Formats: sequence, C-alpha cells, structure tokens
Amino acid sequence: MMSAPLDRRRTAGLMLAVGAATFAFLAAPARAADDVLVGVIQPLSGPNAQFGIGAQRGTELAAEIINAAGGIQALGGAKIKLVAADVPTPNTAAAATQRLISQNGVSAVVGAFVSSTTLAASEVTERAQIPLVTFAFADQITGRGYAYVFQVSPKGTAFGAAQFDYATAIAKAAGEKIDKVAILYEDTAYGTAQAKGLREAAKAAGVEVVLDEAYPLGITDVSPLVNKLRASGAQIAFPVSYLNDSLLIIRALRQQNIDIPVIGGAAGYIIPDFKKGLGAYADGVLSVAAASGDMIPDLARTYKDKYGTFITHEAIIHAAALDAVAKAMEKAKSADPQKVRDALATLDYCGGLAAGVPGGCITFDKTGLNTSSFPIMVQWRGDAPVTVYPPKAATEKPVWRGKTVE
Amino acid sequence: MRNLFSPSRAALLLFFLAAALLPLALDPRGHLIRVAAMVLLFAAMAQSWNIVGGLANQISLGHAAFFGLGAYTSTLLFLKLGVTPWIGMGVGAVVAGGAAALLSIPTFRLKGHYFALATLAFAEVMRVIANSLGDVTGGPVGLSIPFMGSQPALFAFRSVASYYWIILGLLVAVCAVFHLLASGAIGYRLRAVRENEAAAEVAGVDTFRVKLTASVISAALTAVCGTVFAQFTFFFDPDSIFSLSGISVRMAMIAIVGGLGTLGGPLVGALFLIPLEEVANAVLSSQAAGLSQFAFGVILIGAILIQPRGLMAYWLRTPWAKTRRAAATGA
Amino acid sequence: MIQALVDGILLGGVYGVISTGLSLVFGVLGVVNFAHAEFLMLGMYVAWFAWRYLGLDPLLGSALSFVIVFAIGYLVQRTLVQRVLKAPPAAQVFLTVGLMIVIENAALMAFGSDYRSVSVPYQVEGYRLGDIFVGAPYLFAFVAAVVLAGALWLFLERSWSGRAIRAVAQDPMAATLVGVDTRRTYALAFGLGVALTAFGGAVILPYITVSPTVGGQFVVLMFTVVVLGGLGSVAGALAGGIMVGIVQSLSALVFPIQLQNLCLFVIFIAVLALRPQGLIKGA
Repeated sequence: MMSAPLDRRRTAGLMLAVGAATFAFLAAPARAADDVLVGVIQPLSGPNAQFGIGAQRGTELAAEIINAAGGIQALGGAKIKLVAADVPTPNTAAAATQRLISQNGVSAVVGAFVSSTTLAASEVTERAQIPLVTFAFADQITGRGYAYVFQVSPKGTAFGAAQFDYATAIAKAAGEKIDKVAILYEDTAYGTAQAKGLREAAKAAGVEVVLDEAYPLGITDVSPLVNKLRASGAQIAFPVSYLNDSLLIIRALRQQNIDIPVIGGAAGYIIPDFKKGLGAYADGVLSVAAASGDMIPDLARTYKDKYGTFITHEAIIHAAALDAVAKAMEKAKSADPQKVRDALATLDYCGGLAAGVPGGCITFDKTGLNTSSFPIMVQWRGDAPVTVYPPKAATEKPVWRGKTVE
Repeated sequence: MRNLFSPSRAALLLFFLAAALLPLALDPRGHLIRVAAMVLLFAAMAQSWNIVGGLANQISLGHAAFFGLGAYTSTLLFLKLGVTPWIGMGVGAVVAGGAAALLSIPTFRLKGHYFALATLAFAEVMRVIANSLGDVTGGPVGLSIPFMGSQPALFAFRSVASYYWIILGLLVAVCAVFHLLASGAIGYRLRAVRENEAAAEVAGVDTFRVKLTASVISAALTAVCGTVFAQFTFFFDPDSIFSLSGISVRMAMIAIVGGLGTLGGPLVGALFLIPLEEVANAVLSSQAAGLSQFAFGVILIGAILIQPRGLMAYWLRTPWAKTRRAAATGA
Repeated sequence: MIQALVDGILLGGVYGVISTGLSLVFGVLGVVNFAHAEFLMLGMYVAWFAWRYLGLDPLLGSALSFVIVFAIGYLVQRTLVQRVLKAPPAAQVFLTVGLMIVIENAALMAFGSDYRSVSVPYQVEGYRLGDIFVGAPYLFAFVAAVVLAGALWLFLERSWSGRAIRAVAQDPMAATLVGVDTRRTYALAFGLGVALTAFGGAVILPYITVSPTVGGQFVVLMFTVVVLGGLGSVAGALAGGIMVGIVQSLSALVFPIQLQNLCLFVIFIAVLALRPQGLIKGA
C-alpha cells in the first residue's frame, strides 16, 4: 500500500542517526553555573495530570517569589532553577528521578503528588542521598525510616481521622448525634490509607461503620454504590476519591434525593473543576484538606491573577516544600545535597511560604514528617472552599444542614 | 552446516561485546548506565515475548501478568519469609510457568485478535486481584524493596553497574534460549503450527503440547525479568507492574518494531525505542504536558507505516546479510 | 434486585452503542482498533464545546459529535489505517496502539488535563416507580442510544452505502466485482464506527466527566461487550452491551464493587474459550 517508493536505505540511515544523536544528547551534561538546581517531578500527563500541573504551578510560583526576593542570599543571591520531569506512572519515576540527579545534578527534588509515584522516587533519592520534599501522604512514605525524605503534610491516616473527627464535632455542635457512617473509597494508595484512618477514628469514637466499600479507580457507574449507601442508613458519607468519582457520587445522591451530608476526602473535592462540574450543588460540601488559599491570601491572589483559578492545596503545599528547600540552603550556606538534607532535618521556621501550611511552620521530625502541621476542614462557599475547622485555623463558621454552627 | 562467522552472528557478537564494554565508559552510578540497563532489560523482556509472539505467532497482550507474577513472588517471599530474591526468582518463574499452563487451557485454540484479547483480560484479572488482596500483596500501595546497602546475596547493590551486568547476563541467557528453541525441533514444530495448524496436526505434531511448551518457557523467562525489574527499580505497584501500555504492549512493540520472530529484533527494537522515549521525556516533558508521549506515538506509527516488518528488515537487505537471508526470514 | 436489573439495562444500552462502532470496524476492516475509545473521548469533547459555546444540550450536541468525529475517522482511515489493511495483524495492532497514544496526548495538549463536565437541569432529577428509581440522565442516554441503534439498523438494511458496507464485510472481492468501491466503503465504515462511539460519548456526558484519559476507562469494557456479542456483529454488540451492564449491576449486589471488573474479565475469558464466535449470532 506504500504509494511512493521510499528510499529505504536513507530511512535506515536516518534512524541510525536518530539513535546516535539520542545517546549524544543523553551524554551531554546540562549544568548552569550560578543557579541552584531543584528537580520537580510531577504527573504532567496521564490520569493525574490535573493535580500534577497544579502542584507544578505552585512550585514555579514559589521559585519566582524566592528569586524575586533575591534568591538564596547565603549563596550570593543564587537563583533557584527548576528542572521538571513528567512522571505519569510509578514505572517512570525511578528513571526520571535518576536523570534529574545524575544528569542535571539537582540539589534536591520536590514533588510527585501521587503517593505511589513518590514512593518509587524516594527509593532512588534515598540511595543517591538526595533530599526529597513531598506533599504525598501515604503512611509508608515516612514509615520506612528513610533519612532523605521529608513530608510537609500530615500522614494519610491522620487525614482520615481528621475527616471523621472534624465532621462529627461539627455535627455535634449543630446538635446532631452521629451513630452510623459510611466510608466509600477508591482502591489507590491514597484512598486506602485515608480510609484506614477513617475506620480507626470511627472505632475509637464508638461509631458504627455501616458501609465500608472500596471501588476501582475510574469507576464509570456509581449507582450500585449509591444504592448500597441508601440502604445502609448512614448519617454521614465519607467518600475518598479523585474528581470524576466525586462528581458522579454527588450527582447520584442528588438524583435520589439523599440529603445526608457528604464529607469529601480532599483530592477531587477541593479543586476548581468540582465546582465547574456541580455548579450550585457544590455549595456547602465539606472536605478535609491539607491547606487552603484563605490562609495565605497573598500567594492565593498572585496565583489567581496568573492562572485564573483559585489556588489548590497541592499548589500551596508544594510552594511550601520548595520554600523549605530554599530555607535549608540558606541555613546550610550550600547547595550540596548532603548539607541541604542535614539543614532540612534541623529546620525550624515559621512564616514565608510556610504560612500556607496549617500551623504556619515547618519542623521535620526524625522520620521526616512536618510535626507542626495538621489537617483542616474546608467548605464550599461560592467559587472557592474556605477554612471552617478547627477553630484555630478557621476563617468562617461551618454550616451544617443549612444552618451556621457557632 | 552453519557458518560460525556469518555476518549476522558477527553483528550479534559485536552487540554483546559493545554491551559488555559499555560500563567501562560510563559513570557506574549515573543515569546513562541506568538507561543502558533498561534497554537490555526491555530487550530481554521482548525476547521472552518473542518466543510466543514471534515463533508461534500468538500476539499476547498480557505478558505483564507473568512479569508481575515474577516481581510479586520474589518480593513477597523476601519481605514475608526472608527468602533471597535469587531463589525467589526461580520460584517466580515456576509460578508464572504454571499460570501460563493454566491459561493455555482456555486459550490455545484462539487465534490472532481473540488470543490478544484473552491475554489482555488475563493481565487485567491479575491487576484487579493484586489490588484487592491488600493483606497479601500490599494492595494498591505497592511494594518497596527495602534499602540495605550492598548485599549481593540478597540481590542488592549500590552501583547501577552491578545490575547492568546481571541484566546483560539475563539477556544473553534469554537470547540463547530463543535461539535454541528457534533452531531446534520445537522451532520447526512451532513454525509448522504457525503456517498451518491443521496440516501440522495431521503431520503428527502435538500442537497443544508445542504451544504449551513455548508459552510456559516464555512466561517463566518473563517472570525472571519481572524479579530483576523489581530489584532494579526498588518499587512497584499493581497498576504499573500489570500495566497494559507500560509493560504488555511495550514488550510486544519492541519485538515488532525490531522485527517479529528474529533473534536480533528485540535487541534492535529496544535499542531504538527505549533511548528515544527517554530523550523524549528529558527534552519535552518540561515543554508541554503530553508532548513527549505524543512524539513517541507519532514515531511508533511512523515506524510501522514505513517498515511493518520491523527494523531488522533493513539488516536483512544489506549485502552482508544476503547470504543468510533465507535462513533468517525463515526463523 | 429489580433496581439493579433496571440500572444494568439503562447502562448497558449505552455500552452497546459505544461498542457497536468497534464491532463494525472489526467486521468490515478486520482490524481491532485499540484507539477506538479515544474517539469516544473526542466525541465527548465536541459535545462539551457545543454545550459551552453554542449552548447545546449534549443530547443534541451528540449529532455534532457524530458528524465531526465521522470526518476525523474517515481521514484517519484514508491516511493511516488503509495502509496496514494487508499488513500482518501485529502491525495493525500496533498502529492503532500508536494512534491511541497520539490522540490521547494530542487532547492533553489541546484541551489541558482539566476534567470538564456539563451542567444541565435534568442532571440531578430522577423518576420513581414504587421502589424502582431511575436517574434522568441515564434514562435519556438510553433512549438516545436506542434511537441511534434503530437508525443504524435502517441505514445498514436499506441504504445503498449500508448494503455496500455489509457486502464488503462478507466478501470484499465479490463486492468489488459488483461495483462497490471498497476503499471508500472501508473509510465509510471506519468513520461510521468511530462516529457511533463518539455519539455514545456525547450522550453520557451529563453523567460522566470528560478528560483526555477518559478513554482508558472504557477500553476493556468495550472489548468485553464486543466479544460477548461476537466480534464483528453489530446486533450482537447491542445485546452484549446490555449483558455487560446487567453483569456489572448484579455482581455489585453480591461482590464488593472493587471486584466488579473481575467478574467481567472472567466471563470474558470464558466466553472467548467456549464460544469465540460470541454468545449471540447475528448479522
């Protein structure tokens, strides 16, 4: 079926040339003189690209802010230069991270929103002795006794527990006693970790879990799930999911006139598309979160001006993660990975871009976990979620079944 | 009698010689040697696939099932029972071979697209099972190979070069098995089955047994690659190890782009595709999301349209290979 | 139980229409199109843009999806797929795999990774008949699917082009002899196949969000439907779709929802092994 007779030998030569150029490129060192290089790994394509791009923007914005304020002072005002790598799946993480380390010579790596990808990347950074600062929060990340991994947010189970505790506390303040709850989660690293926290918190509080159902990522029809939920008699539903499932679940609930409160588990519940997908039905939905724009208004405004949407929690936390790296370089007066790691391990500061992390500070413990941060609960008001719980972080009062809770 | 120094054989020797000398030129803990090791590992995977896909012409899109079985068996044996992955690797091969034998029962009559779809579904079954049996497999969180410095007895090394040598050895072994099968009695039977199954059966070939042997060997070798992959990348989860596009399709794609059913095909295919993908990622992923994968897809389509028989066809057309052409295209 | 049955049928009708396209392409061209689900995604995007900028309800926008994706499919077949029709199956499989990668990432570049969904008034409505509950978007999508299936049947039975497609599917040589332009017919069948799937994508937009990776959620599902119905059988694909919908719904009653797809795959392999020509025999 080939129309024109192709010069096959030329094609073969061309392919060989491509191959040779390939290796020549891989071998070429790419290092600028005065900048300090920080690697950023995020899923920029594939199913989690939405979150990866938000996180990437947060990191870029943080680099701009730090550079505009004079870069790393202790290194003569060296500018932070980000080197990005796309890691759509955990399979690609090891190679991409290795490339950033040995090819680009980065001083530290920030990122990988997705827990499993972060786990894969951390196995490389640990062996190469390069610090990795992350937002991903599956419990295993800081649970392996690794020395080079730092996590800005609390653990996944802590998010699950907060999701339960905060919601029942708000319900209680509104005069409703909770006896039965439902947990619905997607079977990913993130979903299972957070569901575990929910389950344990419910057990500790003596509340019955009447439905505890995992479902596959990318579920196309949630009606069986919602049928089970309706039959279970739960007073609160705790779904833990990315976006598509969250829209499906809320819509199906509304169709069936099920008015039990839905307390989302972060991810899909607190991004701009949640509102775009649900319109007015998004209003009043509660969700646990790692951060919220109203805690760091300056950054939130800059972000909105630049990208046109409200700042997501993954953007805020990744901005703080890069800030921690910059602060560690200031402290170490060096961009040497080992010294940056040691400085990160003893870092203890508040303010700056860390103000976006609930608690406002960054202090890593022995496992690399930021001990000063805690989960918050946000509620949709108009176009963006606002912080409503716990009271020490809240900017507005929570609303439960239509009435404001004092 | 075969000429020991035929050009094809010389090219192959040259390839392995270059591969053996390469680590001397590269930083033993760097990125390039990791890419080179990946090239060899994917070549070994594609060669294992080639036994079923090339010799028997059964296009499997589910070899990730065996790959994952190998990775899970050795890693779980190590994490739960402390068995060294060197032994786990063998156990994984046996498990995967058994699974292949089981799968052969419902699928051996299937041809072409039907076989591809059945194997695809089998890998999906394995993925769902690995995700759901959280207590055994670690579930969707995946499994990490613990970091413990250099412990050769436990298949753990600090330098990438050590893994490189192991993978090179594996590739040589897989290629040897392929060559033995292709040129041995079973190779003739497989070719007979491929050309005309009914005729082969009439001629006294036990087609079920021949296909079974090929798929069990292919699966066992794939499982060994899986173990090595797990040790080499330190982490895997169900979605990535049982991945359709990341593993199953890629194994087959390398063999096909290189040249289906030829000994050199998987080597050429891996040498072409893996570095290309790596460069696309390195250059393009900071440009625009999706651009690198897009470019990869375009090149794949281009390669298939320009030369559907694979890159090996170019070699077979050169004057040096002309003498061996008949033998090579027959294999 | 009855509720699950109703849910399954409503869902399955749409699966049927989506998969009919895949089956048609295989039946006529003999190519298993791994990129097929990407055309579903394209159809969803067309309907989304029609809703956003023209204010068209996705149920109406689906007509636009059908037309635009038909044109794209026609071109893809003429420029790419046609070249591998005589190539070994392996080349066909990997051409369409390459196409799948290209389309998905082109969409990612063009539309970004945002999840987009429409908001229409009936989205959160439902109808109740005793204990049985029916969501409005599911019902409307099902009706649209049935209407299109009817139209397809009329087209294949009555129109000259439709008969040409069936003739080429049965025997391309004989079809050529009686004056059918096979090349044109191949392109027509491919365009029609992907357009049907795009239509299906558009009508489910009220209850499914679209993103560049949405196709991946449907790939295995579509193949299961088509194999159940018999590869190449259009009527079979419709019946297969409804069967898959019911299996999905009913299995959720017994097993954890996590294992929903497992049941599907096991049935899939069993059907392939026992009756590779499909459970339903038909045109």
